Amino acid sequence: MRASLVVAGLLVVCSAGSLLGQRGGGAGPQNPFLGNAQAISEGEDLYNQKCTTCHGAGGGGGEIGPAIVSGDRVDIGASDPQTFSIIKNGVPGTPMAPQRLPDTDIWKIVTYIHALRGTAIDNPLPGDVAHGEAVFWGKGQCGSCHMLSGRGGLTAPDLANIAGIRKSSSIVDALTKQQHRVYGSGGAHLRTLPTMDSYLPVFVTTADGKTIDGVLLNEDGYSLQMIGNDQQLHLFDKAKLRKVAVEPRSLMPTDYDKRLTPDEFKDLMAFLTRQGRVAPPATGRRGGPPEGER
Amino acid sequence: MSKKNALFLSVVLLLLCVRSSAQVRTPDQMLINPDPKDWVTYGGSYNSQRYSQLKQVTTANASRLQAKWVYHVDGAEEGEVTPIVVNGVMYISGFNRLDAIDARSGNIIWRYQRQPASSTRQRGTAIYGNKVYVVTSDSHLIALDARVGGVRWDVKSEGGYTIAGGAPLVADGKVIVTGNRPGGFIQAYDAETGKHMWTWSALPKPGEQAYKTWGGATPAGAPIWLSGSYDPELGLLYYGTGQPNPQWTGQGREGDNLYSEAIVSLDVKTGTLKWHFQNTPHDVHDWDSMEIPVLVDASFRGQPRKLLLQANRNGFYYVLDRTNGQFLLGTPFVDKLDWATGLTPEGRPILAPGHEPSVKGTVTCPSTAGATNWPSPSYNPDTRYFYVVAHEGCGVNTITSSTDSESPTGYYESASDPWQAYVRAIDAFTGKRVWEYKAVRSNHYGPGLLSTAGGVLFAPEQFGQVSVLDAKTGQSLWHFNTGDVITAAPATYSVDGQQFFAIMSGTNVFAFGLSDSR
Repeated sequence: MRASLVVAGLLVVCSAGSLLGQRGGGAGPQNPFLGNAQAISEGEDLYNQKCTTCHGAGGGGGEIGPAIVSGDRVDIGASDPQTFSIIKNGVPGTPMAPQRLPDTDIWKIVTYIHALRGTAIDNPLPGDVAHGEAVFWGKGQCGSCHMLSGRGGLTAPDLANIAGIRKSSSIVDALTKQQHRVYGSGGAHLRTLPTMDSYLPVFVTTADGKTIDGVLLNEDGYSLQMIGNDQQLHLFDKAKLRKVAVEPRSLMPTDYDKRLTPDEFKDLMAFLTRQGRVAPPATGRRGGPPEGER
Repeated sequence: MSKKNALFLSVVLLLLCVRSSAQVRTPDQMLINPDPKDWVTYGGSYNSQRYSQLKQVTTANASRLQAKWVYHVDGAEEGEVTPIVVNGVMYISGFNRLDAIDARSGNIIWRYQRQPASSTRQRGTAIYGNKVYVVTSDSHLIALDARVGGVRWDVKSEGGYTIAGGAPLVADGKVIVTGNRPGGFIQAYDAETGKHMWTWSALPKPGEQAYKTWGGATPAGAPIWLSGSYDPELGLLYYGTGQPNPQWTGQGREGDNLYSEAIVSLDVKTGTLKWHFQNTPHDVHDWDSMEIPVLVDASFRGQPRKLLLQANRNGFYYVLDRTNGQFLLGTPFVDKLDWATGLTPEGRPILAPGHEPSVKGTVTCPSTAGATNWPSPSYNPDTRYFYVVAHEGCGVNTITSSTDSESPTGYYESASDPWQAYVRAIDAFTGKRVWEYKAVRSNHYGPGLLSTAGGVLFAPEQFGQVSVLDAKTGQSLWHFNTGDVITAAPATYSVDGQQFFAIMSGTNVFAFGLSDSR
């Protein structure tokens, strides 16, 4: 009895330490080339020689092997050490055989796959970043609607972490194509009520005849939340409004490849694909600072 | 211009001045004299009284309360957030995350999520003008635009300190954060720019007087994981500190172990210690003195005083003079208190023998979980009562070696000796118990409280019920089953003439209001 009680006590003492130990970047050796542009390029060459037959160009899936890169970050299954192990040792019982390659070459392939799976910040586009920033605030007039580090407008999404959540191709598409939806996993079950990120134009007339124009942040059948062109947040009870009109179109121009010279566009992309933060590896469920706040 | 006209014009101009100055309130003014319709800090206001002047809901109509909306915080776990509400927007925080919702409808307005997602307990955010603040699991402090959630600045904690789950507090234009590692600390950052202003460590360094209170051991522990209070007139912050380490054994750290287990008062401008009052010197039961200090200006024994009230985890209710830390009153607020026979005139506990943790286990009441814990109390200036969630219960503290201070120590509770939770109303100035409300089913911790000018005490229960009690009598006026565990503290606010009460239960935020007030 006494021993079990002491054990119970020990559990209380030890749990904080063990929980901490479980967090971090996952088991196995760390990728020595993470974010290394030359390794990514060499890894791409190696991938194209060794992997495309089964897994398809760009990891999109082939006739034999499954897709190893999906549309968004949440679908990434394997960590870098796991990917390394799969390439080196194969997957028993499947056509995925062990690859006879030096470890450094395997790591380069892993690094290329990591970049494919990552967002823009993992593999930013080349160009003159400083010139791209000048285009952002100058000729591109991006700052009249978008904000970056506290500078700019509020009537379009804040771009401080755009490269941390979007792939480079999706950022390019957003500036050049009318149809530039970002696709997630098909049929994904909604786990949380999402925010609206479409920033649709909205025109509101209050009961006393006042008009407020801006962009829609959210609405339901009874309430409406918007940012006015006055840069203020407005919350309305729909029953108390005389008129609400939402235009189902984005205010975002999609002809930047024509408005800008090729160099300006390239440099703007170099700038935008560097606005963000590399997401750290997924942690345990709790994922926070020390326990013991009791 | 005639004299009469000039006089008239002067009056008009003066009125215009008064009007415009009333309309444009600085971010500091909005926190020092908050609009009664808002809930601007973790404790409701700087004094942490958790008292609201709203009085649409009264003892006469509380029976007409109903749920108005529910907001699910996906990925949360044991939500302990007190929402803050300003101008009809509610902010619900977690580590790495902040949700802004329409406080009238519960509709999401924007969400900030910095990777990785975290479900670790975090207790709230703070606002300053157009900025709200997020603490990250890798100890960054981030300011977001309160209108759209964009990042305004992002700084890593100065000196590599780990910021804990307590809600930040903005005082004197500084964001005040606290933490436990490497030892208890309080830090201030400029609210506009994120610039580090000062750090105060609860652990003294060699050469300091307090260092001598550790018996030669290296000071360790004194974590600070809950928000504090602030007196803008005195320019003083008030925070509680936690246990000295090693936990549950005093071996090797003979002495009072300053500044553990204390209420500390810091100069907000410089972070220097103005005074301290140690509730539990040389603690061996892990009774963190974290319980939020409640600031009250009132006549005490016939003299107007600036008081600080605290119901401490060690079982005593304290009244201090907050200008200098002078002990004025201390009395038990639980019956199960056996470790001390009373307090000296200076407020120091008079220890009862036989309560050192031992290898065979030592029973002590209250237990380590405490007579109360982080769930906040409330002070109501109308009733002059201090309301606290009180737990009657005991625990057993063990060590594994009577000679090795590094050996593990432990804490457990006997399942055959059940706990009982109460909401207790205490006469704030005598410490006498006035009434109590007994919770059905009970465990330690539980939720926090708030009281209002409508004469009601909003009193959630740990096992999911939300009750509204008559603040004068403790009589239950209304209840609602939220269906999950409640260990958060409530807020009340008003939008478009409707008063709401909000409480986080499990992973959901509930808002209640009268059925027919709109």
